[in-house]
Amino acid sequence: MYLALREIRRSRGRFALGVGAVGLLVFLILFQQTLLTNLLGFFTGGLANQSGDVVVYAADARRTLAGSVVPAETVDAVAAVPGVARAGPLHEATFTVRPAGGRDLLDGVLFGYRLGGPGHPTTLREGRLPRRDGEGVASAVDADAGFGLGEVVTVEPAPGAEPVRIRIVGLGDDLRFSVQPTVFVSTATFAAARRATNPAAAGAPVLPSAVVVETAAAADPAVVARRVTARVAGVEALTRDEAVASAPGVAATRQSFGVILGLAFVVVGLVVGFFLVILTVQKAGALALLRAVGAPAGLLVRSLLTQAFVLAAAGAGIGVVLLTAAAARSSPAFPISVDGPAVAATCAVLVALALAASAVSVRRVLRIDPLQAALGPSVGGLA
Amino acid sequence: MSLALIELRRRPGRFAAMLAALGFLVVLLLLLGGLLDGLYRGSTGALRAQDADLLVLASQSRDSLLRSVVGPADRRRVAAVPGVRTVRGLGVALVGVTVPGRDEVADGAVLGYEGGVRGVPLPPRPGEAWVDRRLRADGVREGRRLLLGRGRVPVRVRGFVDDTSYLLQGGIWVRLGTWRRVLRQNRPDAALGPRTVQGLAVRVEPGVDPGRVAAAIRRAAGGRLEALTVAAAVDALPGVQAQNSTFRGIISVTLGIAGLVVGLFFALVTLERTVLYGVLKALGASSAQLAVGVATQAVAATLVAFLAGGLVSLGLVALTPADIPVELRADRAVVTFGGLVVAALVGSALSLRRVVRIEPASVIGGA
Repeated sequence: MYLALREIRRSRGRFALGVGAVGLLVFLILFQQTLLTNLLGFFTGGLANQSGDVVVYAADARRTLAGSVVPAETVDAVAAVPGVARAGPLHEATFTVRPAGGRDLLDGVLFGYRLGGPGHPTTLREGRLPRRDGEGVASAVDADAGFGLGEVVTVEPAPGAEPVRIRIVGLGDDLRFSVQPTVFVSTATFAAARRATNPAAAGAPVLPSAVVVETAAAADPAVVARRVTARVAGVEALTRDEAVASAPGVAATRQSFGVILGLAFVVVGLVVGFFLVILTVQKAGALALLRAVGAPAGLLVRSLLTQAFVLAAAGAGIGVVLLTAAAARSSPAFPISVDGPAVAATCAVLVALALAASAVSVRRVLRIDPLQAALGPSVGGLA
Repeated sequence: MSLALIELRRRPGRFAAMLAALGFLVVLLLLLGGLLDGLYRGSTGALRAQDADLLVLASQSRDSLLRSVVGPADRRRVAAVPGVRTVRGLGVALVGVTVPGRDEVADGAVLGYEGGVRGVPLPPRPGEAWVDRRLRADGVREGRRLLLGRGRVPVRVRGFVDDTSYLLQGGIWVRLGTWRRVLRQNRPDAALGPRTVQGLAVRVEPGVDPGRVAAAIRRAAGGRLEALTVAAAVDALPGVQAQNSTFRGIISVTLGIAGLVVGLFFALVTLERTVLYGVLKALGASSAQLAVGVATQAVAATLVAFLAGGLVSLGLVALTPADIPVELRADRAVVTFGGLVVAALVGSALSLRRVVRIEPASVIGGA
């Protein structure tokens, strides 16, 4: 170990380059992991953090809220299934909205639920739930973008129609949906928004996208979901977790990031492996001399593994420092957070990977013939 | 044959590690590119196929065809704008498609149109549809009857068309009347009036600047309409721009990694060959000749890795489930190979400084 650390101290520039490269890669991995967690939260937060234990879609909706429409009578049919404590309609659609303060128009999602019924947001941080039409709960992450407590958001109407105004009375954590700002409102407010954007259908009923179910205390949501699917015609019921996992974009995002992260892990192994091989080749003569004067192979291998560990651990340290700096500078609209346990687990895997990647160099060290010290190039490596 | 290529042929094992790493990266690059192309083409086909200069949507929709509503009065205003040659209505409804004999519902985009779509014949009779070939994987066949959405609106498949999907859902091209019926029977709150559409595909007179016509349309509609080029409408589709930039970023980083792998490999090889290079220089080889040898090996190794990785990618794509939109295209493969060659040359160039600095006398003297 003494030998390994002394060499690092004497070859600061060389090791600094290696640690820098590994540090950047570790930062890339940690940053992408955080990005993935945030993106998935933004895709599905509104669905994941509403009170329904079971979400009932139309059978032909392919498990997407946007593609699902259920007849109004389905709510009562679902409510009659054993194990269902309360059932209520859930509406979801994207509208063009103008945030408070005359800001630019943007796409926003409205979730409509029966006030006092299932489907209300469960992560309220500030304020209260809506008590009447025209009130809403927004995601806290959008508070500074014109969705703050007490501010009024307007659903942009079709020409000639009246705009629908929603006063934000509460802010909750992780309530975005489809990566858009999201507001939970009453079913009547949702219907008013629908009619304002399509006056041609003013007399038509605004049908729910899905039915949300709060299960009885002792009931298993998975069992209730299966029962609803079996007993109510034309629907497919999923537990909340299943519904979140099936939401559009979730699986594709997971797969894409999985490939990217897998690649980044492989590259860490490659970089550490190549770095150590180059070091080993460069000092082959010196290692042969050490073997010739009696140093056991085990000592040289331990020295190599120590350097691999220092390289990976220092790189991980740099990665964590960079992530912390990025978290401090991230915008409230897309916050980057440092998840301690997840970061520690990733760093542990990376250090283990670095140790495994040093196997090629270990093999080279074990194959060194002390005779090379007398016959090979000058001591200190290649001339 | 040069010394570099002879070494590559005689001692392929020496290059095995780099070939494996590069081959792995080639597979990743081709699959990432294939995924990008599949996602892009599957999302945008219906708009790209529009034989139009401009797409006119309601301003309030923020360039979303799905949320746009354009009434007959605004259509007349657009048609009356100087420079406008033809105006064709367009609408879309995303529905589940029931295919007889199949348990699973397929994803369909019912597109109402009035002609002017490249590769799609004129609108079929009421109750008939031209269907994107993508839906063949879901059991759709010519002459079969499909049921559209929860309202189960029946249409008979008249024939197939290519590359006309919308938001990864197979295009089902019908008359505007059939499309309105699908809307009415599936989403009563989204039903539209008899002559109302969601968008207008506009062709301008020859020689007229579409940009000027777009501005005139905005003025004529008092700001209620937005006119944008078809390319801009494609970019405005949900996720298209973010998807493109994210994938391009990943592909660039992967190419950078390929360069790094080649660079590290040749750094190692150069170290091992220092004495050999010293001998070659002593025999009269110039630094330039040795550098060309290194570059030749880098390019040759890239070619071998690309061919091997390409074959593996083809095999993987053949095994990929039909619902994952991977599309391997020749133009993407050529660009990928070019990028890899550049990355390999840059990577191998990192060793050139060491090659140039080799002093024959000192190396041989130390040997």
